[in-house]
Amino acid sequence: METVIFCMLSAFAVVAALAVVFFKRAINGVISLLAFMLTLAGLYVLMGAQLVAFFQVIVYVGAVLVLFAFVIMLLNLKESVRPLISLADVKAATPAVLFAVGIVVLTWLALQDAAFSKAAALQPVIGLRQIALDLFTKHLLVFELTSVILFVAAVGAIVISRKEGGRP
Amino acid sequence: MTLYHFVGLGVVLFAIGAAGFFIRNNAVVLLLCIEIMLNAVNLIFASFARFLYGTEGQIFIFIIMTIAAAEAAVGLGIIIALYRSHKTLDMSLIKDLKG
Repeated sequence: METVIFCMLSAFAVVAALAVVFFKRAINGVISLLAFMLTLAGLYVLMGAQLVAFFQVIVYVGAVLVLFAFVIMLLNLKESVRPLISLADVKAATPAVLFAVGIVVLTWLALQDAAFSKAAALQPVIGLRQIALDLFTKHLLVFELTSVILFVAAVGAIVISRKEGGRP
Repeated sequence: MTLYHFVGLGVVLFAIGAAGFFIRNNAVVLLLCIEIMLNAVNLIFASFARFLYGTEGQIFIFIIMTIAAAEAAVGLGIIIALYRSHKTLDMSLIKDLKG
């Protein structure tokens, strides 16, 4: 049963990711990415990482993708006159596709004699309590530093996107 | 359903995102492809955390999500500035950097 759900979710994730790449309009890409994120949240639930699934939905779908959709609607983009796939594009895309295939093949080769291959059986689910304990004791400094990064990024985004010499 | 299945799925998704980053010209779609790659890495982290039993994988995911949110905010700010100065988001038409 779990295997069937995994196969369906992974097929849907791959299709949604391909749709992001091949949809012509950016807003369609954002909607496809929304489907992709929700599929990944389902995969997280499947592997017992419910907290990550909640954060996936709240942070990515609720914040990041809304920001994307907002910016696309704000910019009022015109349709591109060029066709999506032309001969020149196919020529230009060949190195990219080779690069992607190279990533897959190299990772597959690396996994063949990885040290963890024998341990790749299902482990008990990690409890929320253990994650919280580790996050707020062992990794507290990193956790605090992310707040600084978020603050700097928010200020930086405002500074970058405002008009020259004008008010934001 | 083993570790290999999840890692394989993550690698395939990462490859799709990486290829899309080089194929497409629209700046917004480039950012979307970056998000695909970040999510693929998150999936691989979560599967290692699940199959090798450790909390670090999930904690890394939270950090990566924070960085991704910050990156999206800054990237969209750059896109708005780019659109103001060039009136287009087609990366093949923006040649100021002479790359």
